[in-house]
Amino acid sequence: MTNDKDVKVLLIDDEETLLEYLSKRLLREGFTVKATFSGEEAIQVAGDENFDVAVVDLKMPGIDGVETQKRLKKIQPFLQCIVLTGHGSVESALESGQQDAFKYCLKPIDYEALVETIREAYEKRNELLNAKFREKVEDISSSGLGARGIKRAINELRKTYGID
Amino acid sequence: MESTDSPQDQLKRVSQELLSNKIQLHQTTVYLQSILQNSNDLIFATDVDGVLVSFSKGGEKALGYTWEELAGSFIRDLADDPLEFDKLTKASREKESAVRLELPFRGKDGQTIHCDISLINLTNTEGKTVGTVAICRDITHWKKLQEDLIQIDRLAEIGRIASGVAHEINNPLAIISEISGWAGAVVSDAKGLSEEDREELETAARRIGEQTERCKAITHQLLSFARGSGPDIASFDIHSLIKKTVSFLEPQLKFKSIDIVLNFEDEALPIKSDPKMLEQVFVNLVSNAIYAVKEKGTDQGRIELKISRAGPNMEIMISDNGTGIPKEDQKKIFDLFYTTKPPGKGTGLGVPICRNIIKKLDGEISVESQEGTGTTFTVSIPVS
Repeated sequence: MTNDKDVKVLLIDDEETLLEYLSKRLLREGFTVKATFSGEEAIQVAGDENFDVAVVDLKMPGIDGVETQKRLKKIQPFLQCIVLTGHGSVESALESGQQDAFKYCLKPIDYEALVETIREAYEKRNELLNAKFREKVEDISSSGLGARGIKRAINELRKTYGID
Repeated sequence: MESTDSPQDQLKRVSQELLSNKIQLHQTTVYLQSILQNSNDLIFATDVDGVLVSFSKGGEKALGYTWEELAGSFIRDLADDPLEFDKLTKASREKESAVRLELPFRGKDGQTIHCDISLINLTNTEGKTVGTVAICRDITHWKKLQEDLIQIDRLAEIGRIASGVAHEINNPLAIISEISGWAGAVVSDAKGLSEEDREELETAARRIGEQTERCKAITHQLLSFARGSGPDIASFDIHSLIKKTVSFLEPQLKFKSIDIVLNFEDEALPIKSDPKMLEQVFVNLVSNAIYAVKEKGTDQGRIELKISRAGPNMEIMISDNGTGIPKEDQKKIFDLFYTTKPPGKGTGLGVPICRNIIKKLDGEISVESQEGTGTTFTVSIPVS
């Protein structure tokens, strides 16, 4: 079972009041939450802090949601992005960035559904991360490093992937 | 030199002229007769008092009267508004040339026939009015087309405005929804509240949430109404689509004595159309039927769905024995936001959305209803 406390959520939306209450609710739910009000701000924050799941509004002044999530994924490849789209823009959003996002959700989003989607996205992130980790470990084991070399390499991997 | 002509010669010449005039007259008569017999236009002549003296075959066809029924009656009595017609006659007398304008006539069955009419005053050689002649073209069909176009234009405009408004309202709605959820969560854990107050506040927060949902449902429907996307044509079985639709609505039928009768064969009936759009239409129409039956409060509620082929079209009839729609409201049910349901029960979007969809599918939707007896909606769509 996922412990919500472990889930670090990055929220990005220019509707400040909406974000204020959404973060309050998610915090109360138990998630670890950071709210940002533009794509630019989110990208800056993601440079310093690791997140598991990002919830991005598609339509924002400045960098839009699709572009924001693309750039976030460059900084943190395992970050899962949930993109919120208004009515009628789903198709265009899908065209421009289907592969990158974990899910596109239609606004106005139902709170319970959002919470569920965040949990699913977190699971997905962990799966991907673990798979990648195992793959790297395999690579190292078969690379012919000595026992000590392998141990050091694995420790480094743990650090990069944030696994204790 | 005429004066030198003998009386015999003169007589001969006059009788020759007479003959040639007679032939000419005959030709003109035949010519006129053939116009009056064969033209699709309503052509009539009246005497100076406006009493009909001639009426074309086209006119008989357009208005539904025979010449025998009309002979001797006043043309003004056939006009939708006789006073308007009098004005036209007066204008034609004051003017040398024909007066032309649009004027509706009333047919034998009471139907309105829109005509483009050209009326000219007939005068004799002394310049005295002896009657009128008019040629009228039946433009009812064209008129209807024009009205439809205006209606489509109006709907498109309403759609544009509505979707703009809906988009703008969606954001604050989402915020209200979040805040009510937050308030509910805070209240349920708050310390120092009496149980009674807590319940009051929880209910209030929940109600705000519910009402916000209601608003969201309206904006959602509006947006799907205005959405310009065309139909997604596929081949499917209309029978199973209707069965599926009915099974969707079964929860609405619980504890009510309403029989849903599917009046069609079990085997598949393939059709090429948009299944999602049609499903939306049937859900709307059957829900309305259920509502009408419930409203009547009868314990022998009956809703019948019947499918039949009509040439290249498939006709789906949805009949109920509910409250029925008063005659004066039957036109309005296709207007946006027109609803007879109490506040909160209907948005006034269901039927207009159905009509919009059916238009997109090149079909037609019509209603027949009698207050107190029931309503039948007929949807006619091309089979392929």
